[in-house]
Amino acid sequence: MRLPFMSMFMTSPFDGIQEHAEVIKDCAWSFQEAVECHISLKCVRFDALRGDIIEMEREADAIKRRVRGHLPKGTLMPVDKFQLFRYLREQDSVLDSVEHALDWLSVRSEVEIPKELQQDVLHLVDTVLDPIDELHVMVQEAREYFRTFREEQRVKVKDIIRSLRHQEREADRVEHTLKSKVFNMDTDPVTIFHVVRLSEIIGSIADHAENAGDMMRAMVAK
Amino acid sequence: MSAEFLILILGFIFGFYMAWNIGANDVANSMASAVGAKAITIRQAVFIAGILNIVGATFIGSHVTNTIRKGIISTEVMSDPHVALVGALAALLAAALWVSFATWRSLPVSTTHSIVGAMIGFGIMAGGFSMIKWAKLGAVVLSWVISPVFSLVIGFVMFKIIVQVIISRDAAFERSIRYSPYFVGVAMFVVALSFVFKTPLGLTLKLSTPAALAIALILAVIFGFLGKVLLQKFVRKKDVEGSGAESVFRRIQIGTSCYVALAQGANDVANAIGPLAVIYFLVKTGSIGAKVPVPIFLLLFGGVGIALGIGMAGRRVMTTIGTKITTVTNTRGFSVDFAAATTVLLASKLGLPVSTTHAAVGGVMGVGLARGFEAVNFRIIFQIMIYWVLTVPAAAVTSMILFKIIRIFY
Repeated sequence: MRLPFMSMFMTSPFDGIQEHAEVIKDCAWSFQEAVECHISLKCVRFDALRGDIIEMEREADAIKRRVRGHLPKGTLMPVDKFQLFRYLREQDSVLDSVEHALDWLSVRSEVEIPKELQQDVLHLVDTVLDPIDELHVMVQEAREYFRTFREEQRVKVKDIIRSLRHQEREADRVEHTLKSKVFNMDTDPVTIFHVVRLSEIIGSIADHAENAGDMMRAMVAK
Repeated sequence: MSAEFLILILGFIFGFYMAWNIGANDVANSMASAVGAKAITIRQAVFIAGILNIVGATFIGSHVTNTIRKGIISTEVMSDPHVALVGALAALLAAALWVSFATWRSLPVSTTHSIVGAMIGFGIMAGGFSMIKWAKLGAVVLSWVISPVFSLVIGFVMFKIIVQVIISRDAAFERSIRYSPYFVGVAMFVVALSFVFKTPLGLTLKLSTPAALAIALILAVIFGFLGKVLLQKFVRKKDVEGSGAESVFRRIQIGTSCYVALAQGANDVANAIGPLAVIYFLVKTGSIGAKVPVPIFLLLFGGVGIALGIGMAGRRVMTTIGTKITTVTNTRGFSVDFAAATTVLLASKLGLPVSTTHAAVGGVMGVGLARGFEAVNFRIIFQIMIYWVLTVPAAAVTSMILFKIIRIFY
C-alpha cells in the first residue's frame, strides 16, 4: 500500500552497508583457509573455498546494487550520498581483491609457492585479515555515532580508522619484504611474476580497507 | 415519509461515513511516530487512538458549531432552508468522498480542508463567486506554506536541543532524567494552552490570555516534576538498552501521542458533525442562524464513527508504519510530535485553518534537516503537497456536482 507520509521514512542505506560489511567479515576465514589449502598442496578443498568466496562476492554485489538503487533523489541522510557510494565502492573492492587473489592462485594451481616463501605469504594474509574484520565494527560504531552524535563515539570510529591505517602500513611492509625476497631468489621468472603479483593483490586488500576508512573519516567529519 | 426526513437519514449516513474516513485517514497523524519509534504496539495504538477520539469528540468537542466551517463563505447562502439542506448534504458527501479517495490511495489530506472545499463548492452553486470570502480562502492557501515551515523550524530546533543537551553527552540516561522536567513541562505547556485555546471545552471557560498562560505554566511545572518522579520510578537504568535516553523519551512520547489523538477527536469531529447538525436543526426547526447547537448524542455519534474508522482502516495504516519505519527513534518522534502540536496551537491562535497532517510533515522535515534520520525521502513531500492543494478544488467540484444532482430530486 502506498503511503506518502510514511514512505518519507525509508529503509536506511546503513542497513545495507552493515550487511555488506558482515559478508566481508565472513569471507575472511574462507580466504585464509583457501590460501593455506593451496600452499599445503595436499588439500583438495581449495576450489570449494574459492567457490564460497565467489558466491559471497556475488551476494555482496547484490547488496551494493540494492543500496545504490534505493536512494531516490532528495534523500536526506546524516552523510552525503556520494560519500556513502564511495565508501561502499571501497568496501566492495576489499572483497573483490580477496576474490582476485584466489583467482590468481587458481591460475597456477598445480605449481606450489616456493617453500621459503610460504611463511611470508601466510604472514601477509594474516596482516590483511584484521582490516577485513575491522570494517563491520567501524560501520556499527559509525551508525551509533549518527544516532547519538556523541563525541566519544566519534573518537571510537576515528580510532578504528587509525588502526586501519596502521594495519595497511604493516601490510605494505610485509608485502615489500616478500617482494624483495622473491627477486633475490634463484628461481624461474614465471614463479617470480606469480608471487609478486599475488603479494600485490593481497596487499591491495589492506589498501582498500584503508581507503574505506578514509571515506568513513569524511562521513563522520563535523 | 417526508423528503426532509429522508435527507436527515441520508445526513446521518453521510456524517457517519465522513467520521469513519476521518478516523481512517488521520490516525496516522497522532500515532505514526509513536508506533514507528516502537513506543507502543500497533494494537495499542489503534485501541488508544479509538478511545481517546471518542472521549475527545464527545466531551471536549464543540457543543456549538458554525454553520459554515471556518466562515469560508457568506452565511447568506443559508437563508433559504431548502438550499441550505441540499447544500449541507452535498458538502458532507463531497468531503467524505474526497477523504475516502485519499484514504484509499493512502494520502494524508486534511479533513478540515476537505469540508472547507466542499462548502466553497456549495456556496458557488447557491450564490455565485461573490459568496466566497477570499481572505479566508487566502488563509487556507497560506496555511499550506506556513504550517509546514513553522513546524520544520520547531522540529529542527527541538531535535538540536535534545542532541546538545542529552544524547550527545556522557551519561545520557542520567541527563535525560535530570532534564526530563523541562521536556515534559514544555510539552505540557503546549498541551495545556492547546486545551484552553483550541478545544471547545477550553473556549467555554473563557480564560484571558494571561490567565491561560499562568495556568499552563503551573500545570507545566507540576507535570514536569510529576513526570520526572514517574520516569525515575518506571525507567530503570538496568532495563534500558544503549544510552538510555531513548527509553526515557519513549515514555514521554506516549503522552504526546495521546494528546494528539485526543485533540484530533475534539477538533475534527466537527468536520463530520457540523453539516449534520445543520441538517438536523433545519429539519427540526425549519430555520438556522450562523451557529447551531450540537447535541451531545451527535458528538458521540461522530466519535464512534471516528473510532470505527481507526479500528477498521487505521490498522492497515499502522501495520505499514510498524513494519516500514525502522529509522525513527523516540527522541526524533518526540521532536516531530512536539513540533506538530506547537504549530497547530500557534497557527490556530493566528486564525489559520491548520491541519495536523501538514504540521506533522513539517516536523519530519525539520528533524531530517537536523540530520536526525538515517534516511528520509524529501521528494515525497512535493507529492503530498500536490494533494493538499488539490483537496480544496476537488472537494469543491464534487460538492457542486452533488448539489446539482440532489437538486434534481429535491
